[in-house]
Amino acid sequence: MSDLQPAPTVQGSVSRRRFLKVTGGAVAGSSLLTMLDARQAPAQLRGTTLRILTWSHFIPAYDVWFDKFSAEWGEKNGVKVRVDHIPHLEIPARMAAEFAAGAGHDIILNNSTILARLYYKTLLDLTDVYDGLGKKYGGWIPAAKSPIEVEGRIYGIPMYYILLPMLWRKDLFEANGLKPPDTWELARVAARTLKPKGSPTGMAFSHCNDANLNWRSLMFSFGATETDASGDHPTIDSKEMREALRFAKALFDEGMTPEVFSWDDASDNRFLASGIASWIHDAISAYRTTESTNPPVFKNTFVGMEPAGPGGKRVSVSAPIVFLAWKFGKNPQATKEYLAHLVDNDKEGMIQSTGYNMPFLNDSAKKPMPIIGADPKLQVLQDFPKIVAFFGYPGPYTPQIQEVALQFVLPDIFTRVARGTSVDDAVKWGVGEYRRIFAKHKRA
Amino acid sequence: MTTAAVPRTHRQKEIRRHLLLYAGMTPFLFIAVFPIYWMLITAFKQEPDLYRMGNIPFWFNLPPTLKNFETLFYQTNYGYWIVNTLTISAWVALITLVTAVPAGYALARLKLPGAENIGIAIFMTYLVPGIILFLPLSRVVASLGLQDSWWALVVVYPTFTIPFCTWLMMGFFKTVPMEMEEAARVDGCGQLSALVRVVLPVSLPGVLTSVIFAFTLSMQDFLYGLAFVAPGDQKPVPVGVPTELIRGDVFFWGSIMAAALLVGLPVAILYNFFLDKFIQGITGGVGK
Amino acid sequence: MTVLGDGAGSTTRAATQPAARGRSTRAWWHTNTGRRLTFGYLLLAPAALYVLLLVGIPFLFSLYLALSDASVGDQVSRFVGLGNFRAAWEMDTFRDALRNSIVFLVVAAIFKSVLGTSLAFLLLQNFKGKKLVRALVVIPFTLPITVSVLSWKWMYDSQFSVINWFLHKAGLIGGYGSESWPIWLGQPHLALLACIGVNVWRSFPFSAIVLLAGFTSVPTEVLDAARVDGCSFFQRFRHIVTPMIFPILIIGFLFDTVFTLSDLSVVYVLTQGGPGSATMILPMLAYQIGIQAGSLGRGSAIALMLVPLLFPALFLMLRNLKRRD
Repeated sequence: MSDLQPAPTVQGSVSRRRFLKVTGGAVAGSSLLTMLDARQAPAQLRGTTLRILTWSHFIPAYDVWFDKFSAEWGEKNGVKVRVDHIPHLEIPARMAAEFAAGAGHDIILNNSTILARLYYKTLLDLTDVYDGLGKKYGGWIPAAKSPIEVEGRIYGIPMYYILLPMLWRKDLFEANGLKPPDTWELARVAARTLKPKGSPTGMAFSHCNDANLNWRSLMFSFGATETDASGDHPTIDSKEMREALRFAKALFDEGMTPEVFSWDDASDNRFLASGIASWIHDAISAYRTTESTNPPVFKNTFVGMEPAGPGGKRVSVSAPIVFLAWKFGKNPQATKEYLAHLVDNDKEGMIQSTGYNMPFLNDSAKKPMPIIGADPKLQVLQDFPKIVAFFGYPGPYTPQIQEVALQFVLPDIFTRVARGTSVDDAVKWGVGEYRRIFAKHKRA
Repeated sequence: MTTAAVPRTHRQKEIRRHLLLYAGMTPFLFIAVFPIYWMLITAFKQEPDLYRMGNIPFWFNLPPTLKNFETLFYQTNYGYWIVNTLTISAWVALITLVTAVPAGYALARLKLPGAENIGIAIFMTYLVPGIILFLPLSRVVASLGLQDSWWALVVVYPTFTIPFCTWLMMGFFKTVPMEMEEAARVDGCGQLSALVRVVLPVSLPGVLTSVIFAFTLSMQDFLYGLAFVAPGDQKPVPVGVPTELIRGDVFFWGSIMAAALLVGLPVAILYNFFLDKFIQGITGGVGK
Repeated sequence: MTVLGDGAGSTTRAATQPAARGRSTRAWWHTNTGRRLTFGYLLLAPAALYVLLLVGIPFLFSLYLALSDASVGDQVSRFVGLGNFRAAWEMDTFRDALRNSIVFLVVAAIFKSVLGTSLAFLLLQNFKGKKLVRALVVIPFTLPITVSVLSWKWMYDSQFSVINWFLHKAGLIGGYGSESWPIWLGQPHLALLACIGVNVWRSFPFSAIVLLAGFTSVPTEVLDAARVDGCSFFQRFRHIVTPMIFPILIIGFLFDTVFTLSDLSVVYVLTQGGPGSATMILPMLAYQIGIQAGSLGRGSAIALMLVPLLFPALFLMLRNLKRRD
């Protein structure tokens, strides 16, 4: 049922809100900071509603905690909070519908597909909240700004990101005298050795988010780049890219089976849980799934650092989770307060997600981190914040890059090579696709 | 068929005919039903049972469990989803009935100028894909204040049930003999009462056909439900299952199957109940 | 099912309408014709309005989008004429999508007609348990599409496919990891076939039921007469049954065609258009570009690509049906 927005009851609160709107961001920012420091709910929040759209977290217990956490904040501040969950892949469609309708939720989460640059004209400017939180918590990690910054202003609050580390079977490695997969070359040797013994590896060569993330990690670690620093020019046509592609082809031929062409995001989870995989490059959701479905395999599964490329470089491409807010939302004040409160508690969030949610703030990234700091197998994850990157690296996360990701151009380049197309032809095709997509956005 | 020996009894002939028929039916039954059987088994399986390579998919390797059903009812809003689905479908069937039946009659019987083209235009609306429609419809839904309520779907679903049902009813009404109507008119009935008292009762199979068809079609949508209804307790089953039983990259297969069966099987039974009428309905539409 | 036509005959009263209308003092809507027309349009109004408002207007809006450079986040857009359509043609993926959509439609239609017809014939016969069989066979059609397609996703899984398990146990293919283990959703041609398979599985019961309805509607006297005259089974089928049930066949076929062409769910859940663009179909591409990537203009153009092709075909077929009546 649609929420009825109650009319402001107190004359004073109306004029105070108008005052804030009229005097502009700086004043609003400082009064917000004052509020943040004082931890007091301003009177005008009482009796209002806040609607939040978030994803269905792979850990159901996290969603339970999130809903309860939001409800509790709401109770304390007299705000009626409602949280809705839909799969992260469907959020773009939902945002398009809400935009077309000019009505919907106040706060919407974006996972991997960050649409701030697409909708920024209709999004709430959250620069004040962003800066305030950064100041409070030792700054944001360098990669945080890119997905949400447009023309110098910030249109979203980064909440957490999801890593895809190495998950490898120590027992299989040790039984065959293999070193841990600290570099891509070692990973390849392991796959080559273990595949004939019935334990191949697998990385998706298909249209799924994991493919977008994994192959970028590989190519960036090999020194290739996706766009230049301005984000205007694709730079995938390079020597390093060709090297990465040749490596991927060798890895596929020697260490994988053709089933990887049909994989979706969940296939590598199942691969690991079935006990077959020698290693996979995936989020710890796979690790947790194995924990619940195959305890013996779980005992022998270890989490490893992002493998280094030939030059020793490590880049881990992760999936950012960001909260955006509509300008047409009816409760901007509560929105900002709530988002700040959520970030204040990101440690709790990390615990509730069993270490899945990685924080964007430097202070929270200090060791020891919750859950992963304590679990010996997960400690290595604490070193990832230094090497995290997002789509478009080293350039920003632009709508062009967004479309490139959504059309799975990069996984397709790797797939073509794996299927036998020459590296040069595949790169040529890829460059053509990038150019075509970039040109379209330039026109608009 | 051999002509050397004539089958001795009628009974033997019958048995042979039956056997042949059963043999012929088996592949179809197999294709249609084996996935259902498999879904049934999976709904009762424990999760580790699904992820072992050596396991038999068609039977239990670990003892069966009701856990998936528990998860479905206690940890998701499945109860709400079922009620929503049935309610939405009922309302949509009603709306379709109230609009398509009169429209079908008008187009079939009343010699309206341009009737043919109107009829074709109504059918053409199927060419407009839902991925285009859902954005402007989103605005309509929001301005009606129905955003995030299942009533939004009640408003939107008839857009794809009305066209087909109109055609169905049109075809149907054409077969009601004109003499019946004229006799009623001669007896003094107005046009409306002729329709209600004489034509409709005869066309009941067609009406029921439309109802059951609209009902079933309402359960086949995903995009509109996703775009217009976000709250967990407002979703119908076809939206709730993919959105809350697929979390990130983890699929809760057992519960997904359980959800499918609990809504699909009763509808199939209901459908079957009406199947005779359905056949009669379409049949009735052909010139007698 | 008969089609649009003029009805079996006009009411006699209209024919006896006084010729000199000018002399009549009754208002137009009180004349018989007027009454009939008013009544008719009133009855038609709810359906027509519903469809016009909720589909017609959005359709015009989508036409406008297809001719502009609109994006999901922009309120303002510019007219670009046929630019979006031209851009679409230049995309490799678009040409693949167009080809796949057509292949999908044709192959699925062939399977559905063959399977549907055979099943309809079988169901025509009388045998014990016919009702039960009919009940079971309808289930694929009544399950909500999202859940049934999800189940197929698991059945096609590269590791745990129940189909592969079965074929392997029957000795028809090698084990997991061998050359002959089909990766249903990973090999380009297999993937498209897999998607078509799900569509056929869902729809062939419906085709069978519609055909069954058609068959049972053919008057037995006609068939008997033909049998007496010495017609073989196939002759009877071709020359008598088919023409009589033609209207039903056409309507069912058209209905199924538009539904198959605009169906997003199967490909969306199973392959998202992959591997490569082997299963990319027009609705999936339109969704990817229009909604996920936000380029509404281009997405609309892709989605509407088939309309100009189908519109004349549909129009002609429906008019043809009317003629036959």
